[in-house]
Amino acid sequence: MTGITVGSEIPVQRFEPSAMDLFMFSASSWLLHRIHYDRPFTTDHDGHPELLIHGPLQGVYLVQTIEGWLDGRGSVDAISYRHLAPAYLGDRLECGGEMIDGDDSIGELEVFARKTDGTVTTTGKARVRWRT
Amino acid sequence: MPVITAEARAWAEREFPDFDYPVTRIDIARFARATRETNPIHYDPAAARQAGYEDVVAPTMFPYAIRMHATTLGADLTPDGSPSADVPPLPTRRAMAGETSITFGVRIVAGDTVSVNKRLADMYEKEGRSGALVFVTMEFTFTNQRGEGVAREQFTRIYR
Repeated sequence: MTGITVGSEIPVQRFEPSAMDLFMFSASSWLLHRIHYDRPFTTDHDGHPELLIHGPLQGVYLVQTIEGWLDGRGSVDAISYRHLAPAYLGDRLECGGEMIDGDDSIGELEVFARKTDGTVTTTGKARVRWRT
Repeated sequence: MPVITAEARAWAEREFPDFDYPVTRIDIARFARATRETNPIHYDPAAARQAGYEDVVAPTMFPYAIRMHATTLGADLTPDGSPSADVPPLPTRRAMAGETSITFGVRIVAGDTVSVNKRLADMYEKEGRSGALVFVTMEFTFTNQRGEGVAREQFTRIYR
């Protein structure tokens, strides 16, 4: 087995996407919502202080954080998440979590993305399966 | 008075044609680069084959990009860049992203054609503090050319 048990912490990974990262994610996903690449529209029309980091990009960061922790020992079977607060360009996101349940082959995780001031932007649950 | 009218329900329950996405190495590399994946299995066919895949393998969350192409590529856009066909005929027009829930199946590799089926999974209203909230959950089922499930996603939008 893997040495991973209930209560295991998923080490925090940090993500600080640049404007170019946000644009590349919009482009590669064909996600055309202007609040991710058009700053005048975002601030003047939508009243945000900055471009927004995409919710699904935070979903990607959660998956990458789990996969980094698994380090080839298993794979992500499922993930669900929802957004609690906006994350803006310039925010540094910390992603991490904990294994809250599981057995020899499956682990149930709670995961989060938060800003450095502690504001949780995204919270979720995931299921991982160990490679046997 | 209910916010979800017969018109809104008919809108949500309409049929959507399946969307086929032929996945190329470039598609995979672009998504991997955008999300700063460093594993060569997303870029280098030889590395992918060495890891046991037929060709470069898509990052786990790549079905999201397929889904966005399926819903947005042929769509008319609202001024904020959203597909206008996704805006339901509701008096409550302000949309918020609710929960996303994805289950993953077999991996996607370059050369696969992934077919996306979109259907309404759930639609209901709740009385919120500042008026009615309408929850619309769409389900996307992703299948490869061999009929194997590659992912299933449920995505909820909340209108208020």
